[in-house]
Amino acid sequence: MILRISWILSFSILASCATYSTGRGIPAPIESRDSTGAIEQQPANTSREELPGNAPIQRNEFPPTQNPPARSPAIVTPAPSEPAAPASAASTLLAGVDAAIAEGDLERAAALSERALRINPRDALFWYRLASVRAQQGRASEAEGFARRALSYSSGDPALTGQINALLRDL
Amino acid sequence: MDKSKPETDQHGQQAPRKRRCWPLIKRLSLAFVAVVVLWCVWIDFEVRRDFEALQWALPARLYARPVELYAGATISQAQLSDYLDTLGYRETTQVEGPGEYQRSPSRIRLWSRGFDFWDGAEPSLSLNVEFDGRQVRALWGDNNTGDLALVRLEPAEIAQINPNTGEDRVPVRLSDVPQELVDAVIAVEDQRFFSHFGVDPIGIGRAFVANLKAGSIVQGGSTLTQQLVKNLYLSRQQTLRRKVEEALMALALELHFSKEEILEAYMNEVFLGQQGNRAIHGFALAAEYYFSRPLSELSLAELATLAGLPRGASYYNPRRYPERATQRRDIVLGRMLSQGYITAQQNTTATREPLKVASSAPSRGRTYPAFLELVRDNLARDYDREALQTEGLRIFTTLDLRVQSLIDANLEASVKSVERASANGSDGHLEAAVVISDAITGEVRGLAGGRQRGYAGFNRALNARRPIGSLVKPAIYLAALESRQYSLASVLADRPVSIPLSGSQVWSPTNYDDKLYGDVYLFDALERSMNLATVDLGMQLGIDSVARMLEKLGYNGNIPLYPSLLLGAIDMSPIEVAQLYQTLASNGFRSPLRAVEAVTTAQGERLERYGIETVQVSDPESMYLLEYALQGVFKRGTAKSVTGRMEDSLPLAGKTGTTNDLRDSWFAGYGDDLVGVVWLGYDDNRDTGLTGATGALRVWSELMSDLNIKPRLTLPPSKIVWQDIAPQAVQRASDRDCRTPMSLPFMPGRLPDSAVSCEDDESILQSIFDRVRGLGR
Repeated sequence: MILRISWILSFSILASCATYSTGRGIPAPIESRDSTGAIEQQPANTSREELPGNAPIQRNEFPPTQNPPARSPAIVTPAPSEPAAPASAASTLLAGVDAAIAEGDLERAAALSERALRINPRDALFWYRLASVRAQQGRASEAEGFARRALSYSSGDPALTGQINALLRDL
Repeated sequence: MDKSKPETDQHGQQAPRKRRCWPLIKRLSLAFVAVVVLWCVWIDFEVRRDFEALQWALPARLYARPVELYAGATISQAQLSDYLDTLGYRETTQVEGPGEYQRSPSRIRLWSRGFDFWDGAEPSLSLNVEFDGRQVRALWGDNNTGDLALVRLEPAEIAQINPNTGEDRVPVRLSDVPQELVDAVIAVEDQRFFSHFGVDPIGIGRAFVANLKAGSIVQGGSTLTQQLVKNLYLSRQQTLRRKVEEALMALALELHFSKEEILEAYMNEVFLGQQGNRAIHGFALAAEYYFSRPLSELSLAELATLAGLPRGASYYNPRRYPERATQRRDIVLGRMLSQGYITAQQNTTATREPLKVASSAPSRGRTYPAFLELVRDNLARDYDREALQTEGLRIFTTLDLRVQSLIDANLEASVKSVERASANGSDGHLEAAVVISDAITGEVRGLAGGRQRGYAGFNRALNARRPIGSLVKPAIYLAALESRQYSLASVLADRPVSIPLSGSQVWSPTNYDDKLYGDVYLFDALERSMNLATVDLGMQLGIDSVARMLEKLGYNGNIPLYPSLLLGAIDMSPIEVAQLYQTLASNGFRSPLRAVEAVTTAQGERLERYGIETVQVSDPESMYLLEYALQGVFKRGTAKSVTGRMEDSLPLAGKTGTTNDLRDSWFAGYGDDLVGVVWLGYDDNRDTGLTGATGALRVWSELMSDLNIKPRLTLPPSKIVWQDIAPQAVQRASDRDCRTPMSLPFMPGRLPDSAVSCEDDESILQSIFDRVRGLGR
């Protein structure tokens, strides 16, 4: 079992490296998302558990052990010692999406996700956010379309893939 | 008078008669007074009711997709400064306020205006953009704003849907009108506005004297209130009754409403110019119309120019008669000076300012007629014509100005170049239609309904339904791959067939080049668009399954269930074709093509949102295999001719289409970001002398390389395996030649047939087999 998990993990890391090395033209803001601290500075974190299957997401932090943290609530710790790198467009929008969800303005959350997808249409996270929003609105068939789309771009991120699959099971 | 009358009544009835007459006059005059009073009351009632409910019919306004700035955004310095020019920004050497920008090598500093978008407000910001070729390298604000990750500029207004009255205006609150403009208008039109009660006897007297002195009418005695009443409620006739009515209404208005309310209405109502059949009303719209900037950004001289217009908007038209307009402006400034609104210094500076009118008014509604029709189609379900014309709706569209301008600028020349090259000697007008959409979201980015820029006639992109020819083939091949009965290395027969139709008819299709290719691989048959091999495949699959696939890909119309469907005997409009290829481009996820993102009220309240929708209609493995062949169309197939020109963008995927007698030339193709469909043909269905490859493909590749279409970087799904096959398709393993094998992707459940497989483990077995068989012969 452990062998199998580590095999899958190493494969997905390889796959994710392959994804990023081929990225042309589009910046890969995903990579800097966690290091910027931009998300953590947002007060929207409190709302993250409200969505079904929408646990906080740790991008590109692959679990070093077989204990995946992705589906447990993350403990958010700001990193004051590090100089603040400029936030990326995607992290800014992600913060906006989560803030809108917190305020209960789901249409705005969907709109902001779509805005992010206009900037980077292959960002699985925002497809997943759209799916979560629609699921919360009870629009299951739309949610499924978005979740499947998210899945088609999430091969480099096993944690996210797991969450998307969980959402699909709940629909 | 009565006494002088001769007494005719013999019975002494003089006195009663007198008594009878008096009351009659009294009653008549009483009745007259009553009528006048009632009239006044009625006018008063009417004015109060109408003014309270004063609501102008406001045209719907359409906005293009806004430019988003962030590190990595694809936009060059030249493109951004073009965009800012479109928005009416002013290039300066020192940015001091909203609507200004400053250029230096590889940088632009700008102060955005801010905008209330349908999904939230974008603040007005001062920011710096640094470029690296075609991209934004970095983005930062000033001391107040600090770092910026993402800034959305205002959207360009691309069209409006005008009310039947032809009136257009941008209503504005008095508090948003610059004080200098209020001062200028009062100084020149009605200097006692704040002290009179609707009519101004002193003003009339002064005007009378001035006119007497001059010998002609040089001054009007009408107050602003009277002018407003006249414009709002009365006809243009100059009768006495109308004059009295005007005065009464003005009095009534002043009685019930404050000076500020009246002034605000005046500022929005006043007629200030005419553009075609569109009447420019109100100062806010006039600022945009004459100076391409909002009121708040205009200088004293510019505001004075506008304040001079109510006297005669066409006579003092600053665009047509700059000298008159300048003179009038200086008169306005002179009045402001004499009435103490401005200092001598301000007056001198303003009169020295040259009249800087925007060269041409943004002509709305005519620039992008083809796209506008698509917007109307999209909105038809939710909004009727009346709503669009009167409610001041704000419609946020998906139009990408960069894409649309490029189509507009290049299509005509591009079509002309292939037209000349055609063998067709006729002097007809080869027509064109183009649809460009986002490969992932299905948002329509640009549209052309004819080859001419801004063509407003028959919209071929939406309404010209023509046979699609070989563009149908990907649907057949996808149906085959999805069935798992076929692989890219399945061997098809490119041989003559005769298919009996109903009655005694027989269908005997041919290849475009009349060649026969014999045994061919499935991928090769698609890449080189072989008709006979495709018919072979399609007849095995059944017409039904092809029709079902077309529906899954997004076609909603009727599908004729004849074998000729396999060669594209089905009429579609370019936008319907774009929908099919959008589904292919997004790897089997169908998202309806959209031209509208959202609709808000004039105040910015969200009414309707048209978000992304998506449904998975095919599995990733089949899509990947299909795309392998559609990329092969560029690498080895019918689109190979343009690979030299498009080197930077490859790999791309697409398909050529040619119909019987070369009547239609099609190309549909996509990269990672965009899907494009080009159709060329004659309206009367004549022979174009062009195939898909010599016509539409060339136009497509010119447009797409100018748009820097991004290469396809589709990663193989994890289940896909690569296997070697013999380069030549054969039916029997004994004919197989594995000396220079080629590698193709396969689904694990559908590996190549042993007859063509060159995989080692298998081929060793096979070769032993072959040898045994060979010995037996």
